[in-house]
Amino acid sequence: MLTVCPYFHVHQPYRIKKYRVFDIGKDNQYFNDASETDLNNRRIVDKVAEKSYRPMNKVLKELLDTHPEFRFALSFSGTVLDQFEAYAPDVLESFQELVATGRVEILADTYYHSLAFFYSVPEFERQVAQHAKRINELFGQTPRVFRNTELSYRNDLAKWCEDNGYLGIMAEGWDPILGWRSPNHVYTPVGCDRIKVLLKNYKLSDDVAFRFGNKQWESHPLSAETYADWIHAHHGDGSTINLFMDYETFGEHQWEDTGIFNFIKVLPEILLRHPETSFKTPTETITSYDAIGEIDVPDILTWADTDRDLTAWTGNDIQKDAIASIYALEGDVMETGDTDIIETWRKLQTSDHFYYMCTKWSDDGDVHAYFSPYESPYDAYVAFMNALSDLQLRIQYLLEKKRQREQAESEEEVVASATPRTFWGKMRGWLSQCIARILFFINQKK
Amino acid sequence: MKVLTFGWDFPPHTTGGLGVACQGLTRELAKEGVEIIFVLPKSQPVEGDSRFIFADVEHMVRTREVTSSIAPYLGSQSVLDVYDEYGVRKLYQNTLLDEVHAFAHKASQIASEEEFDLIHAHDWTSYLAGVAAKVASGKPLVLHVHATAFDQAAGDNVDPAVFAIEKEAFASADRILTVSHFTKQIIVEKHGADEDKVQVVHNGVDTTEPKTYEPTLQELREQGKRIVLYHGRITIQKGVDYFIQAAQKVIAHDPNVMFVISGKGDMTGQIMQQVGALGLSQHVLFAGALWYEERDQMYQSVDLVVMPSVSEPFGLVPLEAIQHGTPSLISKQSGVSEIITHVLKVDFWDVDDMANKILAALRYPVMHNQLVQEGKREVSRLSWKKAAQKVVDIYIRLLKWIT
Repeated sequence: MLTVCPYFHVHQPYRIKKYRVFDIGKDNQYFNDASETDLNNRRIVDKVAEKSYRPMNKVLKELLDTHPEFRFALSFSGTVLDQFEAYAPDVLESFQELVATGRVEILADTYYHSLAFFYSVPEFERQVAQHAKRINELFGQTPRVFRNTELSYRNDLAKWCEDNGYLGIMAEGWDPILGWRSPNHVYTPVGCDRIKVLLKNYKLSDDVAFRFGNKQWESHPLSAETYADWIHAHHGDGSTINLFMDYETFGEHQWEDTGIFNFIKVLPEILLRHPETSFKTPTETITSYDAIGEIDVPDILTWADTDRDLTAWTGNDIQKDAIASIYALEGDVMETGDTDIIETWRKLQTSDHFYYMCTKWSDDGDVHAYFSPYESPYDAYVAFMNALSDLQLRIQYLLEKKRQREQAESEEEVVASATPRTFWGKMRGWLSQCIARILFFINQKK
Repeated sequence: MKVLTFGWDFPPHTTGGLGVACQGLTRELAKEGVEIIFVLPKSQPVEGDSRFIFADVEHMVRTREVTSSIAPYLGSQSVLDVYDEYGVRKLYQNTLLDEVHAFAHKASQIASEEEFDLIHAHDWTSYLAGVAAKVASGKPLVLHVHATAFDQAAGDNVDPAVFAIEKEAFASADRILTVSHFTKQIIVEKHGADEDKVQVVHNGVDTTEPKTYEPTLQELREQGKRIVLYHGRITIQKGVDYFIQAAQKVIAHDPNVMFVISGKGDMTGQIMQQVGALGLSQHVLFAGALWYEERDQMYQSVDLVVMPSVSEPFGLVPLEAIQHGTPSLISKQSGVSEIITHVLKVDFWDVDDMANKILAALRYPVMHNQLVQEGKREVSRLSWKKAAQKVVDIYIRLLKWIT
C-alpha cells in the first residue's frame, strides 16, 4: 500500500506601499497601494484569482466529485482569507465548497504567516489561536496537524505542537536530516512520543512546483503517466508520498500554457489505476502508519533554497534589523490594547516583507530566483522601516494618552477622597482608597 | 593579435571616466596577450607618470600621438574650452568637429603605415578615425560606445553633427561595444544600429584600498550636520537640477542636512540661481571641481553620494564613492545600475523618492552600513579582467568571421 498526501499552501501578504519618510506621522495606511504595480494587493488577488484560484478550484472540485478516493490538504494564511473576503468572496466560497466534501483537511498555521515562533512564543500562540478560530468560522474544522510559515521547523516547535494537542507537524524531508533514510515514512520528532512528523518529498514536489514548465529540464515536458511511474516506483520502500507545494504553483508559478492544469486533471485517475495506490489526508496518514524512527532538527529547517534555512528572510543585516525592530515593539503594542494597532503590527510580521529584503541572489546574479514586488531589497527595507516608524509614533501617542488618562483619574480619586462632603462621597473615597491599597499589594507581590 | 586603438584621453590627463576606462581595459587586454597601439590625438603625459599602473606590461603598449585637440564632452560647434590636469583653461580656436576630422585624416595615414589585425575606436571623437583606418587598411572595425549624443543632450534635442557621425560610424562598424544595456537600447532605437552587431561590455573598476585622509568639512560635522555630495559635471545630462529639487524636500523635513556640489559645467550658473531662488543657500555648498586628493577626501567625509543623472551610459561615481566607504543613491537611468545591487536607486525625475531615499540613508544606520560593507564586496568583483576577456572573445570571433 502506498498513499499520496498532497498539500497546497495558499497565501498572500499585505504588501507595503512606497511609504516615504515624509508620510511618517501623516498617513497610517500602509497597505493601500492603488497603483498598477505589484504592490497593489487588490490587483494581485484579482490577478492570481483569475490565473490560479478560480481555475484550480474548479479542477479540484471536479476531481473530488469524480474520484471518491481523492483527498488532499490545504493551508491558508489569515491574511489571504481576509483578502479573499474583501476582494474575491467567490474564491472563498469555492474553497468552502471543496472543504464541504469532507475530504479536504485544513492545517493549523499562524494567522499572519509569521516567524513569530522564533521571536516570541506568546505572540505565536495568539496568532495560532486566532487562525484556528477563523478556520473554524469559515470552514467548520479544527486543524489537528500543524505547518509553520515556510515549512520552518525545529525540535522545540514539534514539542510545542505535542504539548498543545496536535497530532502531527510537517517539515522538509531534507537529506542532511534524514541521512540514508527515506522521507516516504512517518517519523517521531525527537523528544516527543505522541505526535508524528510528515516529511515533504522535495524531489517529487519540486518536479511539479519548480521544474514543470522548465524547457531546459531533462524531463520536460512531464506527462502525468511518467510522474505516476516515479511515484509508483516507491511501492515497497515507502508508505506515503508527501507532495507539499504552494497552491499558486497551479496557474501562477506554472502558467496555464505549461499544461499544468491538464496534468493535475488526469493525475489522480492515473495514480488510482494502480490497485495499491490511494490518497490520504495528513491526519489519515499520521493515524494509519507507525513512526519508523526519530527526526532530530536542532537548528531551523525550512523548504527554501539549497540552504533549507531562514537566510532568505533573516540572512542580511537589514533583514535582521527589520525583524528585530518589529518584535521589539511587542510589549508596547499589547499595552495599547488597540485592535487596529495590534492588527497592523501583526500584518508587518508577515515573512514576505523580510524576504523582499533578501540580497542572497546578488552573489550568484540569479535575480529571478527571488521574486519581489519591489525594485530593490533596499526599497523594501525603506518602505517597511518608514511604516514601522509611523506605527511607533502611533503607539507612543496612545500610550502617552493612556498615561495622562490614568494620571488624571488617580488625581480625581485623590481629590474625591480628600474632600468627602456627603455620605456617598465619603463612601466613594473610602472604597477607592481600599482598591488602591489592594492594587498596591497585588503589585508588590508580583 | 595586434589592435590599432584610437582614443582621445589617457590617465593621468583625464577629465572623466572615459580615459580611466581606456586605461583599465588596455592594461588588461595587454595581460591577455593583445598587442595594442594606442593612438591619441594630442601630446600628453602618459608614460613615466607614477599613476600609470601597467608598468609591468607597458612595453607592449606603444602610444602614438598626433597633433589634434579634442574634448568629447562638448558639442560639435563649440569653441574648445578645456582644462588641463591642473584646472588651467586652454583655449582653442577650431571647433571640435574640425579636430575630429583632422584626427580621422591622421588615422588614415597611421593605418597605412602600421601592421595590425583589427581596429578599436573609443568614443565618438574617434569613430571617424576608426572608420578612416578601416577604409585605409580593410581591417575589421570595433567601435566602443562610452556615451551618445542623446546622453549629452539629456533628451531628443541632439547635436545633429555628432548624431550623424555616430549613425554613419555604427553602420560601417563590424562590431559595436556598449558600456551598458541602457546605451545599447539607445543606439538600437535611436541610431538604428543593427542589434546583432551590438554587444554589452560593462566597464570594470580598479579596486585599490584608498589612502585615508583627514576628514574635510570638520566644522559642519561638529555641528552634527549630515552631508550629501554631488560630484560630477554640472550639465543637463547629470540631473543636478533634480538633485536641488530633492534637496529642498529633504531640508523641509530635516534642516540638519547639508548638500555639497563638486564640479563645474555649463549649467553652474543656472544651478546657483535655482539654489538661491529656492532659498537653499544656507544648505548647499558649491565646492568647485574637486579632483584627486580633494575629491577623495570629500568622498570620505560625506554620508551619502548622489548620482542623479538623466542619462548616464555607465557612471563611475558610485564605484569610486564606495571604495572610499560611502554609499550612493543613483538614478536608474544609468548603466552602472545594471550591475550593482548594494546602492539605493531612483528614477531621476522622481524627486519625492529621491528625497525619501536621501532621508532614509541618513536615518537608518543599519542600512547605511550594509550598503558600505556589501557594496565594497560587490565592487571588488567588477574587474577589468572580466571586461577584457569578453573583448578578446569578441576580437577572436570577429577575426574568424571576417577571414
